[in-house]
Amino acid sequence: MDPSQVVREGLIPLLPRLRRLARALAGQADDADDLVQIVLERAMTRAAQWRPDAALDKWVFAIARNAWRDELRARGRSQRLFAGEEAGAMAADGNTGPAQKLELAAALASLPPDHREVVALVLVEGLSYGEAAELLQVPVGTVTSRLARARSTLQSYLGNDT
Amino acid sequence: MNLIDNDTLQAYVDGELDATTTARIDAALVHDDLLRRRVQQARALRAQLKAALDPVLDEPVPARLSALLQSARPPQPSMPIKPLAQSAGRRGFGAGRRHTSRRWLLPIAAATASLAVLAVTLWWHAGGLVGVHDDRQYAAAALSDALDRALASEPDPHAPISIGLSFRSADGRICRTFINRAKPIAGLACHDDAGWWLPVLSAGRESENGELRQAASAMPPAVQAAVDARIRGEAFDAQQERAARDAGWR
Repeated sequence: MDPSQVVREGLIPLLPRLRRLARALAGQADDADDLVQIVLERAMTRAAQWRPDAALDKWVFAIARNAWRDELRARGRSQRLFAGEEAGAMAADGNTGPAQKLELAAALASLPPDHREVVALVLVEGLSYGEAAELLQVPVGTVTSRLARARSTLQSYLGNDT
Repeated sequence: MNLIDNDTLQAYVDGELDATTTARIDAALVHDDLLRRRVQQARALRAQLKAALDPVLDEPVPARLSALLQSARPPQPSMPIKPLAQSAGRRGFGAGRRHTSRRWLLPIAAATASLAVLAVTLWWHAGGLVGVHDDRQYAAAALSDALDRALASEPDPHAPISIGLSFRSADGRICRTFINRAKPIAGLACHDDAGWWLPVLSAGRESENGELRQAASAMPPAVQAAVDARIRGEAFDAQQERAARDAGWR
């Protein structure tokens, strides 16, 4: 079988996880599926670069993460500015009743991209720190410190930080 | 006094520690209430994120995506790629959108829909209506009570939670859909030994004129899809629903 066929067939069972990862990264459902579409196109184009000894899911997750970063750059700061306003509005209100907690979820969107991607890879996709570090091409210590800071941010929005 | 730093605690929760360190923290947890609370919080956060995003796994994959992986196609793009930046620029104008999966019609809804599912989960957790048990979310408090007691055939217009369908799932458990009248939040609950497991929580849908659909029949697509995936035979009628309640939802 030629590589593109192996990759294509290997990607089919990975689609649900890829969509979940894209949702965690891009947030909105149709943005996430647009991202998945771009990822699939890229994966097919680069199928020859995939080596069978590499796990296909990590390989395509790395493509997804890079495509997401490309889109963020293309989009500029508009998305984060919006999320930042939401988060700012919440932070200004010390009261964390149920209505506020509904908005607290905006915290995920307001995480900086390097925090958000470790949350997506480790906490949502279940990669180990080492796997995430390899995928992101950063040291393991960087993954753990980003993850700890991301957790702390999310917990503080939940109003249950200690 | 806490000798275990955040990074170590986090690695413990994420299963990243060696056996010796894990054992040391296990031992410390026995007598350290604060440490135990921190572990619980970190686990709850993880469970909440999973609960918010795992339902994506059960969604049908859009045809435009699976079509890209059909065999006997050249590896070239089968559809033009639209950069996210372009579609983002158009969002809210309603013009020139792809016809697929564009259900969010209000600009505000479009901007916040992504977070709605996570928000729902956080809100339900925060409101005490959802608890976490063995990394799975279960109904608690008023939600659990409503699932135990309420009958769709005898609706109480003042009850905060309204029951939709009840049915037996393919794995033999009884499941019920529910919707919160006050918030556009809906979900599916399936009864097991630990209570009402909640495989799906979802934001309700907003209709085109911006009014919230609150009828139990207007289940969000994620809930509807979860029902379709699980249901065996038909949904219960009034008599079957009552009989199931009398039998303790077994």
